Amino acid sequence: MLKKILLGITALSISHAALAAPLNMESLGNGVYVHHGVHEDMSEGYHADICNVSFIVGSKGIAVIDTGGSLKTGQALHEAIRQVSSLPILYVINTHVHPDHIFGNAAFKQDKATFVGHEKLPDAMERRRDTYLRINQQWLGEAFAGSEIVKPSLLVKTTANLDLGDRTLLLTAYPTAHTNTDLTVFDNKSATLWTGDLLFVERTPSIDGDIKGWLAVINELKTNDAEFAIPGHSSSLKNANWKEQLNNEERYLWTLLNDIRASIKKGEVMEKAMGTAAASERSYWQLFDIVNRRNVNNIYPALEWE
Amino acid sequence: MRKHSLLFFLMIALFISTLSNANAESDPKKWPLVKEAFFAQRQMADAPFITFVAPRRAESGAQVPLEIAIDQTQADANAIKTLYLLVDSNPIPLTATYHLTDKLGKFKLATRIRMEMDSYIRAVGETADGKLFLASVEIRAAGGCGGTVDGDENAIRAAAGKIKMNVESPVKFGDATSATFIIKHPMRTGLQRDLVSQGFVPAFYIQKAAFTYNNEPVMNVDFGVGTSEDPYLRFNFIPSAPGVLAVKAVDNDGKEFSHQTEVKN
Repeated sequence: MLKKILLGITALSISHAALAAPLNMESLGNGVYVHHGVHEDMSEGYHADICNVSFIVGSKGIAVIDTGGSLKTGQALHEAIRQVSSLPILYVINTHVHPDHIFGNAAFKQDKATFVGHEKLPDAMERRRDTYLRINQQWLGEAFAGSEIVKPSLLVKTTANLDLGDRTLLLTAYPTAHTNTDLTVFDNKSATLWTGDLLFVERTPSIDGDIKGWLAVINELKTNDAEFAIPGHSSSLKNANWKEQLNNEERYLWTLLNDIRASIKKGEVMEKAMGTAAASERSYWQLFDIVNRRNVNNIYPALEWE
Repeated sequence: MRKHSLLFFLMIALFISTLSNANAESDPKKWPLVKEAFFAQRQMADAPFITFVAPRRAESGAQVPLEIAIDQTQADANAIKTLYLLVDSNPIPLTATYHLTDKLGKFKLATRIRMEMDSYIRAVGETADGKLFLASVEIRAAGGCGGTVDGDENAIRAAAGKIKMNVESPVKFGDATSATFIIKHPMRTGLQRDLVSQGFVPAFYIQKAAFTYNNEPVMNVDFGVGTSEDPYLRFNFIPSAPGVLAVKAVDNDGKEFSHQTEVKN
């Protein structure tokens, strides 16, 4: 009886893995592939597939950049990779700690890939582990099964190079900006920069680090001569002028910062500013009402000490 | 026998996973346990005179804005002397205790609290003769009790205890006047993980703040770690004449901090 049940469970989980439909990838040429998640907030109704997940095929092997928000999404990415190439998956890079970017990591453990991240990523993952596991379980239920925190072993303090054979990836770690674990990836062969969530396109930029630090990093990115950029979220990369997109993000962040500073100076309360700060930006961004209010709630208390 | 126990285990596991899904919303079953732990076997009456202004869904579990008002003065027959603020679903439910005086007029206070998950918030008012009154509000929230960003420990310790206090102007002497108090402090819960030690960061938080106006008590507050980092209070008090609003605070290391604000015409 028990044997039958266990066999049944094993059979189910095997068929589950095999059935992971491959993610729909956009081929950008030059061995670069991107899957675009949808613009959902992370709460009820979230499907663990909201960010851009990518892979780069080199002559020696493959690098993955972000893995999605669940083991299931990671497995679907793995399937998509195997439809394109059978080369070994050498590196799995996380651009930062947020759960929509890291919970597919476990799908690549079997590949013996080296997990790569910002030097502060393991600590950030540890601090957030309990909460991330609990709330993602709550939001996703069965669809979160098997997802786990997989920490990087190759840590980037300033910069690092990853060799894929005919191409080299340059990884750069940043001081606290969007989060305290932001990392970009530059691929020399395609002249493409993966910005992680240091660049938001379409979706309202969300602040979980330091708005002033982020504005400083944006200034630094403005001098980056990458031809193309792949942001952390986007519905498409067509007609993308990434410097213009960076300017849009900078405009939002400055507007938000200035409006909050003005609110504090006037002696207003945070609850009021949550409804009014950066209101002029509302029409330019997706999920604005949810994310902008959260941003004010996150950064107002610290700005009261300026 | 072994088969049965394993099957039983599978069933329990299934049951628990169903339960945890059901926990996606505030769990009303927690209150009887919390109530019993803090107010064992005591009666509680509903308190329609205690009201909240609170978000239905908190944008940030780390800094949930909450306002509590009591529509009575200290002259009222059932005047509330002590107000307990509890969050049912937090690991440490008692968030703050406010000791009231007649200098507050009709009590009105805004603060910011931590919420680890969806929960009911309870304000329990206690009268001088020990009667208890209860008001509740439900807030949906997530993940406010973890320490998410690291920092330079020396800088955090050096800045801890810095106080900002403000009284709205123009002041209406003899009338309700709003005061804002913020104290820089990490308010470490003792439940936050530390990768270096593989254990938990020790609790480090503001325990008490005592407010006086011209040396007479206005309000004493006992803080719990459910009060957010950089504890924030905005409250009404009644300054009868120009004077000095002063505060003395102490953290759980016994370190004392004080500040005062002159209230002028």
